[in-house]
Amino acid sequence: MNVDGSLVAGLDVGARTAKAVLLDAEGRTVGTGIARMRPDFTGLARDVLAAAVKEAGASPDDVAYVATTGLGRYNVPFRDLQITDITAVAGGAAHLFPGTHCVLDIGAQSTRALHVLEGGRVKEFRTNDKCAAGAGGFAERAARYLEVKLDDLGTLSLKADSAQVISSVCAVFAESEIINLVSVGQSVENIVRGIHDSLAQRGQQLMKRVGIEPEITFVGGMALQAGMVRALEQVLGQSVNVPERPELVAALGAALLGRQRLVRQQEGIAA
Amino acid sequence: MTLTTFAPLPVVEEYREIVEDRGYPTVREWKRRTGRAAVGSFPVYSPVEITHAAGMLPVGLFGAGNQIEMAHADSRFQSFICSIVKSTLELAFVDKLAPFDALLFHSICDPARNLASVMARNFPERRAIYVHLPQNMASSGAAEYYAYELRRVAAELGAVSGRVPSDEDVLESIVAFNAMRSRLRDLYALRAERPANLSTAELYTLARMATFTDPLESEPLLADSLRSATTRDARPKDRIRVVVVGSFCEQPPLELIAGIEESGCYILDDDFLLGWRLFRTDVPVDGDPYLALARAYLDGSLHASTKHDLRVPRAAGLVASARANRADAVIFLGAKFCEPGLFDYALYRRALEQEGIPHLFLEFEEKMWMYDRIRTEVETFVESMLFV
Repeated sequence: MNVDGSLVAGLDVGARTAKAVLLDAEGRTVGTGIARMRPDFTGLARDVLAAAVKEAGASPDDVAYVATTGLGRYNVPFRDLQITDITAVAGGAAHLFPGTHCVLDIGAQSTRALHVLEGGRVKEFRTNDKCAAGAGGFAERAARYLEVKLDDLGTLSLKADSAQVISSVCAVFAESEIINLVSVGQSVENIVRGIHDSLAQRGQQLMKRVGIEPEITFVGGMALQAGMVRALEQVLGQSVNVPERPELVAALGAALLGRQRLVRQQEGIAA
Repeated sequence: MTLTTFAPLPVVEEYREIVEDRGYPTVREWKRRTGRAAVGSFPVYSPVEITHAAGMLPVGLFGAGNQIEMAHADSRFQSFICSIVKSTLELAFVDKLAPFDALLFHSICDPARNLASVMARNFPERRAIYVHLPQNMASSGAAEYYAYELRRVAAELGAVSGRVPSDEDVLESIVAFNAMRSRLRDLYALRAERPANLSTAELYTLARMATFTDPLESEPLLADSLRSATTRDARPKDRIRVVVVGSFCEQPPLELIAGIEESGCYILDDDFLLGWRLFRTDVPVDGDPYLALARAYLDGSLHASTKHDLRVPRAAGLVASARANRADAVIFLGAKFCEPGLFDYALYRRALEQEGIPHLFLEFEEKMWMYDRIRTEVETFVESMLFV
């Protein structure tokens, strides 16, 4: 595959952050960008793309194709194509771990379980309901209640000695449970592990509906938390693949699929 | 990579909200300005030239969209009747059709036929005129019959305006509508040629504007938009090319049309607002104007599910359109409970499969206001074609 020296960008405009992955002609990642969400989606997309271009030592004119994904994928007017999160995540995960058959993606607002065929084609998928109980936004709010940094949740969870049970299926009620656990003196570590267990169990339920089959790849921002990864592996009873930058997998998948489209266009194949 | 987008078309910006306004503000303003009457025309096709020639403003009635709640019409029509029929009646019940001095209905389907009589029964003070369109397009007597019928309609319309149009009046109005339709054809051609320059949501807004504006006023607006869209420096997006059919009568919400485009489709041809651009070429103005209109309807008009013509199967017309536009796929965007459209879908589907043209069936209602499901269906369809 040759992209004639042109760069391809994948932009994942998510609920909490926007991410960019820039691929070169050989399909190597040459730049990334990430920024916290703000109402100006278009400006945000430009900024993360500019960061990735800068990291690559390139200029915006070198970007031949832009593929977007995520919640705000339609809000990037300079895109060539938008791709659903499902297809982008599957493409990215299968690229990083070609033996992947099952993908769990827990982002800030959505959780998705995918059954993936060879080459990253999606056989089946399920997403969480609109309730945030099963997604990273819940963990973020819990961190605020517990007065700890979101980035510290992963290591705190690993120090737990008696995981507490968070039973509610609703994020609002779960927060009430957390407050109760705090009031009876439970340690932050044990509560955080309970949160991770709760998220892992919800992820497992989604995965069951598409069929759990190794290899399993865990992606999305929540996969950055080591305690969350351990909770998921214990719930599933098997190890899972975790990429070095799990939060960038959707952007990577968008870039890879964008690159595929650019090559087809250059070969004169329209659709 | 160019990180710029082009400016919106001024006419589209001006009319974006007006086209959905069932208070018909521009019609009211036209009536105040001219002191003349307005006539509402139910889709699909209406002999608007005659209304215009009688000194009145022909206005397209395209239901209520998602603007009003159904409170009265549900007790007059069954639950399996399409939305546009019920919402048009509802508009009358809530006095939204007050700007119209008469209403025109046509023999396009059973619910539309019944709407004419239900409307007349419930609102006897507002004249409901029924146009009997020729059913046998190939009959040797069809043109003569329809010309006769148009003269009868002209007399009825003349009774509303107080002026039965002369042949010269009708010829003048044909000239005006020819010009307007010609601009619409130009815009459709531009979109098919360079779809990145003119979105279908924009084109729809322009065409919809022409359904409630005097053609003498809408033609310059269309011409101006054509010039602006032509000169746009648009970077094409990576989308599949589609032809959309099935929305010839009840109209999908503008957001839905935009959503289909945003989901990864360039729409190259469609049958939105079909009746207002039905004629493929200008109607001749060098003879009997009624006969010219009749012949244009019989022999010079676009395919329509409400126009039964065995000489040219509609499915063949759809396949030809897909081929001519180099479309990757066809989207059938059909109104719920639309019998003519759904009958045709069975024929379209068979023809498209025989030709190996991918297709997607979508169903809409004018009153819908959430589009997530349809967008997901379209995105999935697009991705299935892009990433094989």
